[in-house]
Amino acid sequence: MSSRPALDPALLSHLISARRLEDRRGRRGSGIAALDRLLGGGWPRAALCELIGRRSSGRTAILYAALARAIAAGEAAALVDVGGGLDPRRAFAAGIALRRLLWIRCAADVAAKAADLVLGAGGFDLIALDLGDARPRLPAAGWIRFKHGAEKQGTTVLVAAPARAAGSCAAAVVELGPGAPRFVADGAALFDGLQAEATKGRGVHEHGPESEEARCASLAFSCRS
Amino acid sequence: MRIACVFVPQLALQAVLRRTPEARGGPVAVLEVAGAGDGAGKARAKRVARVTELSPEARRAGVRAGMTGAQAAAVSAGLRLLTVTAADREAAAAALADVGYAFAPRIERGADDRIFFDSEDLARLYPAGETAIAQAVQAAAARVGLGVRVAIAASKGVARLATRAHELALIPTAAGPARAALASIPVELLAEGDPALAGAFRRWGLRTAGDVAALPIDAVGLRLGPAGAQAGRLARGIDDEPFVPRLPDDALEEAIELDYPVAELEPFAFVLRGLVDRALTRLRERSLACAGLTVRLALDPRGVDVRTVPIAAPTGDAATLLQLARLDLARRPPAAPIVGVRLLALPARVRATQLDILRPAGPAPDRLAATIARLAALVGPDNVGAPAVEETWREEAVAVTTYEPSRPDDRGPLSLTLSPLRGARANGGGDPQLTIRRWRPPEEIEMLLNRQGPAAFRGRETTARVLIAAGPYRLSGEWWKEGEHFQRAYWDVHASDGAVYRVHQNERDGRWYLDGYYD
Repeated sequence: MSSRPALDPALLSHLISARRLEDRRGRRGSGIAALDRLLGGGWPRAALCELIGRRSSGRTAILYAALARAIAAGEAAALVDVGGGLDPRRAFAAGIALRRLLWIRCAADVAAKAADLVLGAGGFDLIALDLGDARPRLPAAGWIRFKHGAEKQGTTVLVAAPARAAGSCAAAVVELGPGAPRFVADGAALFDGLQAEATKGRGVHEHGPESEEARCASLAFSCRS
Repeated sequence: MRIACVFVPQLALQAVLRRTPEARGGPVAVLEVAGAGDGAGKARAKRVARVTELSPEARRAGVRAGMTGAQAAAVSAGLRLLTVTAADREAAAAALADVGYAFAPRIERGADDRIFFDSEDLARLYPAGETAIAQAVQAAAARVGLGVRVAIAASKGVARLATRAHELALIPTAAGPARAALASIPVELLAEGDPALAGAFRRWGLRTAGDVAALPIDAVGLRLGPAGAQAGRLARGIDDEPFVPRLPDDALEEAIELDYPVAELEPFAFVLRGLVDRALTRLRERSLACAGLTVRLALDPRGVDVRTVPIAAPTGDAATLLQLARLDLARRPPAAPIVGVRLLALPARVRATQLDILRPAGPAPDRLAATIARLAALVGPDNVGAPAVEETWREEAVAVTTYEPSRPDDRGPLSLTLSPLRGARANGGGDPQLTIRRWRPPEEIEMLLNRQGPAAFRGRETTARVLIAAGPYRLSGEWWKEGEHFQRAYWDVHASDGAVYRVHQNERDGRWYLDGYYD
C-alpha cells in the first residue's frame, strides 16, 4: 500500500480545516492579539465597524495594524485619510507595504463620498475611513448605504472617528479611553509609548450578555521601533 | 497657419542604420535592385543590385551611387554593404510619424520620408519661437534614430522646398520675405524629380529659385507647362497645396462649432458632455477605454487653447472624464469665450491580469482604473495613489506614487531615510506601533517656555499646558540647498488635554510649530 503523499508546505500553509472555515469568513485579524481576543477573532468581515477614540488614544495605530495585516495577507486595502495625516515612515514601521495601500487624502466633506467610490469599485477587503478630529456628519441613510455596500462587496469598512455616528449600522464598535503616556525618566525624559483601555461597544453582531471584563482590554502601544 | 515639414534624407540608409546602429559613423552603402518586383521578364543585367544611398564616409572613400556591390567594395575596403527591406522602411516611416504625433494631434504623411503638421499651436509650448520648435523636432527624431531636416513655412510646398536645401529653415509667411528666403535654392532642387524642367531652367541661364521667381509666371507656364508654372509660384513663396492632416490610426476626434460664444463653464460642460459621450460610444464599439483626452478650444474672436486633461488610468466612464475636464477648465479658465471645441480621445485597452489561486482576487483592473480616475476628479490627482517616503530627513515630507495592488510584497521602497524605522513589526507580535498624525504643513503656534523647556502652547485649535516634555531632539539638513536649510529642535510633549504632541522649534528664526500628535 502506498503511503499518503505529503502536501507541498507552501500549499499547506494556505489550507484551513472545514470547521474553521466559517470563522475565517466571519472575522479578520486586527493585527493586535489583545484586540482580537476582545472582538472574538478580529473585525467582522463584510461589515461596517467603528473605532472611537480621541487624540493619542492609539486609534490610528489600531487602524494601521489592521491595514498591515490585510495587506500582508494579500488583500486589497484602502485608507481614506481626512487631512492627510499619514506618516509614511511610521506606517512602514507598522508593517504596511506602502505601494499596496491605496491612500486617498481628502477633506472631511468628501471623505464619505471617496470611501463610497472605493467600496463601489469592489474587490477591496478593507477600507479604513480615518476621520481624524472631524466629527462624522453623515446622515443615517449614508451609514445604511455603507453597511449594505460592505455586505454586498464583502468588505470591512472600518471608520475611525472621535465619536460614534453609525449607530446600529455598525457590526462592531471599539471605544478607546484616553491614553496614558509612558515616559522613561532616565536622566532626560523620553516618550516610550502609551497604554489605553479598549471597550467593546454594542454592535449589531453582539447580542448575549457579557461580563464587564470580557468587554474591556488593555492595549499597550510602543513608540520605539 | 504655419506648417512644419519634417524630412528624412536618405530614408533607406537611415532605416538600415536604425536596424544596425553599430554601422553608424563608418562607410555604409545601401544596395537595391533596380526594377525589383517588375517580373522575370527584365533582362538579368538590370536586376543587379546597385548602390542607391551611401553615408558621407563612404562618399569620401570614393563610393558613388550606381556602382555595383563589387565595384563599391573594390573602391573602399572597409565598406559595409547593406540591403534595405520593406519592413525597415515601414518602421522608419512609423517612427517618423510618431515624432510628428509627439508634437501635434494630427499629421499628414506626405510620403514615407516626409510628414507635415500644424506647428502654430506649439507657440504656447515653445515661447522661444519656431527655431526652438524645429530643434525640438530634430531632437525627438534623433531619439528614435532618425536625422531629419525641418522647415516651417506658411504652406506645405514651400516647407517641402526648404527642406530640400536646408537642415533647418524658417520661411516667413509674407510673400516678399518668403521669396527672399528661398532665392538661393538651386534650380535642381526647385525642380527635383523633373530633370527635364531643371534642364530647361539651366538652358535659360537660370541658376537659383530667385532667378526663376524674377520671370513672369504666365510666360514660364506658357513655355514649360503646368510644372513650370508651379515651380515659378513656389520660387515666389506661393503655394495652394491643401494640408490634409490625419489622426493616429486609432485616435478618435469629435468636434463641434458653436453658434455663439460660450463664456460660462456650466453651459460649456453641457456641450462637452455630448462630445465625451460620442467619443466614448465609439470607443466602446471597439472595446476600448479612454486613456487620454485633449481638448482644443477655438476662442472668440481668434486664438486657440489646447489642453491635455490628465487621466490617472484608462476609463470608459463619461461622468469621470467630464469631471476631470471641468476641473481642468475651472483651474485654468480659457482667456476668451469659446466658439468651437475639438476633442481628441486617446484609446487604450484595459489591462487584463492573471489571478493568483492563493491570493484574494482584489479589485478588477478596469473598475479600479475608473475608480482611481473618479477619485482623482473628486480629491485631485495628487491626492490619490500609494504613499511613498521622500528622500529627505524632513519629518513631514510625503509623496504619492502609483498604487500597485499586485506588487510583490516588498513592504515599500528601499530608502536611506527609512532605515531607522525599518524592520519593525511584520504581522502581529510585540506592541503595536504608535504613529504620528501629522498636520501638513506644521501649524505655527505660540509657545510659553520655562527653564526646562515648553510650558504651554496656543495654536489655532489647540491650547494646552505642557505636563511633561521630552527633548530636545535636534535635526538639521539640506544646508546644501539654497533657501531650504532646516535646523529644528523637536519635543514630545504630554499636554493637559491628554494628548502627546510632537512640536518643534525652528532654530533659525525661533518660531514654534505643531507637527502632529502621537496616536
